[in-house]
Amino acid sequence: MNAPVNAPARRVLKVAILGLAHVHTEGYISILKTLPGVELLGCAERDGIASSRTFEGVKMFSGVTALLEQRPDAVIICSETVFHRELVERAARAGAHILCEKPIATTLEDARIMQDACHTAGVNFMTAFPMRFDITLQHTRQTLQEGSLGAVLGIVGVNHSINPSSHDAWFADPILAGGGAVMDHTVHLTDLYRWFFKTEILEVYAALGHPLGSSVETSGILLVTLENGLHASIDCSWSRPAHYPRWGHLKMEIVCEKGVLVVDPFADHLTLFDTANPAPTWVSFAPDPNRAMLLAFLESVQKHLPPPVTWLDGYRTLQVALSAYTSSQTGQLERITSQEF
Amino acid sequence: MTHLRVGILGSGAMAQTHLRAWRALDVPWLALHDRNLETATDLAHTYGAKVYDNAAELIRDCDVVDICLPTFLHLEAVMQVALAGKHIICEKPIALSTKEGMAMIQSCETAGVRLYIAMVLRFFPMYRRAAELALAGKLGTLQVLRLKRVGFPPHGGTSWFADDALSGGIVVDMMLHDIDYALWVAGDVVRVFARLTRTTTQQYAQAILTHSSGAITHIECGWAYQNGLFRTALDLVGDAGLLEWSSDAPPSSLRLPNTVEMIGAVPLPAISAASDPYTMQLQHAAHCLETGSPFEVTTQDAVRALNVALAVRSSALSGRAVMV
Repeated sequence: MNAPVNAPARRVLKVAILGLAHVHTEGYISILKTLPGVELLGCAERDGIASSRTFEGVKMFSGVTALLEQRPDAVIICSETVFHRELVERAARAGAHILCEKPIATTLEDARIMQDACHTAGVNFMTAFPMRFDITLQHTRQTLQEGSLGAVLGIVGVNHSINPSSHDAWFADPILAGGGAVMDHTVHLTDLYRWFFKTEILEVYAALGHPLGSSVETSGILLVTLENGLHASIDCSWSRPAHYPRWGHLKMEIVCEKGVLVVDPFADHLTLFDTANPAPTWVSFAPDPNRAMLLAFLESVQKHLPPPVTWLDGYRTLQVALSAYTSSQTGQLERITSQEF
Repeated sequence: MTHLRVGILGSGAMAQTHLRAWRALDVPWLALHDRNLETATDLAHTYGAKVYDNAAELIRDCDVVDICLPTFLHLEAVMQVALAGKHIICEKPIALSTKEGMAMIQSCETAGVRLYIAMVLRFFPMYRRAAELALAGKLGTLQVLRLKRVGFPPHGGTSWFADDALSGGIVVDMMLHDIDYALWVAGDVVRVFARLTRTTTQQYAQAILTHSSGAITHIECGWAYQNGLFRTALDLVGDAGLLEWSSDAPPSSLRLPNTVEMIGAVPLPAISAASDPYTMQLQHAAHCLETGSPFEVTTQDAVRALNVALAVRSSALSGRAVMV
């Protein structure tokens, strides 16, 4: 379709990246560089923190203050989780709309303060849940909502990865990340379950694995119950070895009365044997959900629409992750109080 | 080659599976009895076995009795055979309660006969190889195990399997395999939590086991799929390695379009002809009976697995974590 001849030119959106710690930072930068109508102003760590990373063709600012002086329309928060609150408050005061990495905070209190800051400043807060923009999972959701498979008997979900190291080692720092495998990997599947069934998680049971010498849990299995009575599991373990062909996977099986949905959104891959790697690697040939997520975020900013994934989505999933820790400590089922906002 | 005279009690899916296995082992004498004489006669005809219309006479004429009856009949049958002084091979689960199981073991000890509980999963080659590697320390210290076993409702979900009072329910009947496996490779379990969902014909359960070593196990188990579909998988993780296997992987020989073999409308895993675990299990049991060597799976293993399974079932019923 052709655009109307007299349509006003779309304003160029100025985007900035605050914090460079997150594993997705590099991917976001390479996507932003290719998007028309987007000016990537640059990146910055918190004030006084020198970045240990550089990205080709991207301006590195001395700190968040200098970068926010450039008046970005939108920012992506990619810092260590514990610094989300500070950066969100700064960005909100500067009038920038926010896309924030998951989990949105290390505590519920921080998460609420972030929401207040955005509300006061009148800026949007979107939680970065890229899997909602994955075509396979969108199709899965549609199939479930059509109801053609009958009642759901249960769901098994796994979100495995290798144990974080190198640039990602902070994911295993109890202060910076607020925990280990549970904080890292519980929220994606939790959000997908909520999104599939338009309901909240009511109860959480979790058993965690805490090997000797590790400051955080490296494995965890949760059984959660949704408000609709559905029982679903989440294996959030960092249980793939370092030389696994890929970072890990997110998979689920949804067992229904009339059939089972076996869902592996990362299944579309080639196996690459090359001299650069001692072991074969899996190379995706599927559309990148991160790209679709960034497009949806920027469209919501451009068109003054509510964010397609909300702060509440980030908050509810954080509640589930934190409840897993409580459950593993008490050895019993943890009930989540559904406070209204 | 075994010289044992084998008498089978029962004429259901497991009786048929065992008949076929005993035939493969070329036993010199094979007979069966079931209160359903017609089915027993058909089966006997198919596998070249004798039919007895009287259990006591069958027990009298054989060296070992292979009990392939529904679980609620195990206690009575084991007591009868033990009193007759014959060795016993009995399908899993050993019984509906640990008390019954211990009584059966005690009766066999008193009577001086041996009791083998057919925990066949330990003879499935992929599970066996994985356990060997794990127990040899190839994975380091075990941390997290995932075990899957989901098939379709036996007999459409309307038979004795569907009655918890007769079968113990899906956890005691089917999840028991993977519970025993987890106990075998990762040791004692201290706490369990489980959820179970049912429709009129289907059952679907998930359990989390916490081992005393600190390892954790997830088990998925169902009579939930459509007829003909049966899937199993294992994923064992230690601090030094990972083992993955799934029945979704292509077998060593594939005939397309493929159809799942169905025996008596009860879901059984696809097996490779070269390494039929049912045959290997019975060969092992027969060998132990003839040589006096110990069984790989002891009656204590069977009771231990049942005890954890009952805790899992109790958790699924109460919605509370249960200490074992």
